[in-house]
Amino acid sequence: MKPEPNNHLQALSQAIVQGLVDEAGPLAEKALAAGLPPLQVIEQACVPAIEEVGRLWEAGDYFLPELIAGAEAMKAAMTVLQEALKSSGQSLKSAGRVVIGTVEGDIHDIGKNLVASMLRASGFEVIDLGADVKVERFVETAEREKADIIALSALLTTTMLNQKRVVELLVSLGLKDKFKVMVGGAPVTEKFAREIGADGYGESAVQAVSVARNLLAGRGGNHD
Amino acid sequence: MFDIKRLTEKQVFLLDGAMGTELFRAGLPPGHCPEAWNEERPEAVAGIHRSYYEAGSLAVLTNSFGGNALKLAGYGLESRTFDLNFKAAQLARSVCPEGRYVGGSIGPTGKFLKPVGDLTEDQLLEAFRPQVGGLAAGGVDFLLIETQYDLKEAILALRAARETCSLPVILTMTFNLTRRGYYTLMGVSPEAFVRAMEENTVEAFGANCTLSPADMIGLIRIMRSLSDGPLIAQANAGQPRVGPDGSTFYELGPGEYAGYIPELVEAGARVIGGCCGTSPEYIKKIAEKISAFFDKID
Repeated sequence: MKPEPNNHLQALSQAIVQGLVDEAGPLAEKALAAGLPPLQVIEQACVPAIEEVGRLWEAGDYFLPELIAGAEAMKAAMTVLQEALKSSGQSLKSAGRVVIGTVEGDIHDIGKNLVASMLRASGFEVIDLGADVKVERFVETAEREKADIIALSALLTTTMLNQKRVVELLVSLGLKDKFKVMVGGAPVTEKFAREIGADGYGESAVQAVSVARNLLAGRGGNHD
Repeated sequence: MFDIKRLTEKQVFLLDGAMGTELFRAGLPPGHCPEAWNEERPEAVAGIHRSYYEAGSLAVLTNSFGGNALKLAGYGLESRTFDLNFKAAQLARSVCPEGRYVGGSIGPTGKFLKPVGDLTEDQLLEAFRPQVGGLAAGGVDFLLIETQYDLKEAILALRAARETCSLPVILTMTFNLTRRGYYTLMGVSPEAFVRAMEENTVEAFGANCTLSPADMIGLIRIMRSLSDGPLIAQANAGQPRVGPDGSTFYELGPGEYAGYIPELVEAGARVIGGCCGTSPEYIKKIAEKISAFFDKID
């Protein structure tokens, strides 16, 4: 008996929620082989699944290993599905382009990596500059890559002030309106984000995704 | 010989407070490797140790928190791992008063074991071995494996320590207070942690960093309900704040912080110290509280 299309979507969705990295790709292929359009698979299996992973993390049911596994499974499925889209002459509209990094003086990258993988899993194009990134490099890269968002991570109270310096540089170059700036990291708070003139603050990697979406809601990406 | 069980039988054993906070205050530029200062600015590092001893610390922790080979590789200093740790131990030893102690600080690598990250167990062991070797050769009395969030990494660090030297090892993990209770970033519960520590016969263990003293009390109570061993508690000075002039500080002052100490001791903590945001002034206030409440401890 031929399985129903819904079963394919459900199986893939479950594989992502459970972080079954090795199974997500083959399940995406099976869904395509059953005649499901790649976009439908993305919208009805992948996106709800990664949102569920995020919900479980926020609720405290999932910890870092489960969150990473979910994002990796999502990536495996998306690789298959994007390839299928490409060969059918379609492409997935990017959710936005993000330049991300940990600010100068700070080599902590666990939180930043989490945000980058959640953004990627949620359809953003992410340019990851790594850790200890100079203020100027964020701005230069954002300009060159025609980014929509600059995302800044800091783990130390001494380095969070470098998030402020990025905003200041954007203001002094007259580029503040061109990019949205979002900040995060252990010592960073909503209040601090407002005080330094950042456009958004995410308390967790999951929140960062909705913050990024909200920042770009109602405006077309720079690169379209 | 450093015997933490004996040392905590009739007293609270007082460690030191933050090292990073003090290094920045002494002028460590952001982005500079803190352990490199063991060679470049030995007098600054030794000065911080001295001020903690003067404040009442029975032991100070060496400036080697990020001194594993994987973390030092971030500064291109991985080949200096043994030397920088050796120097860290020597510096603390050089200012250690008679009858006090030096603990070798061993922090996490910041990388993840497979499948979450790319690291193999061997790579982790290799990262810790030269650090342990340097600290032991430089003359520490014990090792403190601290701020761990992954039980597997913590146990591997313990293994590297025990394979490399015969020093006593004590261990802390860092817990967050989540909606469902206390867990580390990787989802380790206090129950799983205590079980692992007892299985591995770690002489003293507990928690440090992230939690405020108030939240730390709740965690120590849970651990005490699971274990009779000497528990370690090193809380942060609350949460970091940004002042109107753009400077950053922690919300709890020395007096406020010390105010929580009697309850922390009553909850079961026997090894106490500070973490992020604390300074010699905090240790001094804690030492005063401890001597005032000394009679209350059985």
